[in-house]
Amino acid sequence: MLTQHLFYDDVEPGDALPELTVTVDETQMFFFSAATNNGHRIHYDKEWARDREGYDNVLVQGPLQAALLARAITDWIGGAGRLVEYSVQNRAIALPGQPLSFGGTVTGKRLVDGAGLVDLDIAARRDETVLMPGTATVALPLRGAL
Amino acid sequence: MSSEGLIDADSAARIGTVAATATGEVNRRDWQRWAAAVGDHNPLWFDTEYAQANGYRDVICPPLYLQYAVLGVTALDDLRPDGSSGAVSGSLAFPRAPRRMAGGESTTFHLPAYHLDEITMVRTIASIDEKQGRSGSFVLVTWHTVYRNQHQQLVAEATTSMIARP
Repeated sequence: MLTQHLFYDDVEPGDALPELTVTVDETQMFFFSAATNNGHRIHYDKEWARDREGYDNVLVQGPLQAALLARAITDWIGGAGRLVEYSVQNRAIALPGQPLSFGGTVTGKRLVDGAGLVDLDIAARRDETVLMPGTATVALPLRGAL
Repeated sequence: MSSEGLIDADSAARIGTVAATATGEVNRRDWQRWAAAVGDHNPLWFDTEYAQANGYRDVICPPLYLQYAVLGVTALDDLRPDGSSGAVSGSLAFPRAPRRMAGGESTTFHLPAYHLDEITMVRTIASIDEKQGRSGSFVLVTWHTVYRNQHQQLVAEATTSMIARP
């Protein structure tokens, strides 16, 4: 359980988020397509993915990569933190069975109207390949304010 | 935009117009199914007591789930050949660039959403441009989307993009 609070005071530029590693399989892809009402064949129809769209296999959903990357952030900030801004670009495809990593680095922190905002560079990767780069801003509680 | 390009006149004429509006109810079980599919067991989405201890009145909708709360219903016969519904993108289609991929998304979250909140989405086509990439020409479409709750409060606003290739 995420009972430990992460405070604005304790975060510094250069800090790395704990990395999340997930190997998406076709069962997870099925449930994600179901949960998002996504009928796009490229995520479950191998013949379509190969013969019509030219890929080696079905593709991991971009929004699933985005959700996993957001999960790495919300796991890190805990219940008292808040995701304020989230921005990602789909840069490369991922296939089921590939180990993917999701993480980020603190790039800056600032107090805005009493709120502690922390800026992050974030990325989903497969080995050295960046699949999904992005940025995020989270609001964290100040020590003594909780 | 020449007629030789990938963008047809009908699509070009829709730049700046509302592509889609939709209203939907935020549903706890639906967002929890989504979170389970992500392997995201954050107690803010599942545990009322935990959420209340962190200042919320109840469990909250995961921020990235909000976009799905307004999805409508598409009949099987109305799906595109690739199985997608096209409803959220305002049924923009590029016959000369039929292979579509999500580009990116950038969202600012202003307020949490709770179970049974009624969310209204208004999505405007911000731009449609033909670009040159490593593997040739493609179409880049950008939308601006605003989400409000039943109290007309701004819950989130997003810029999303799609790439369509020949």
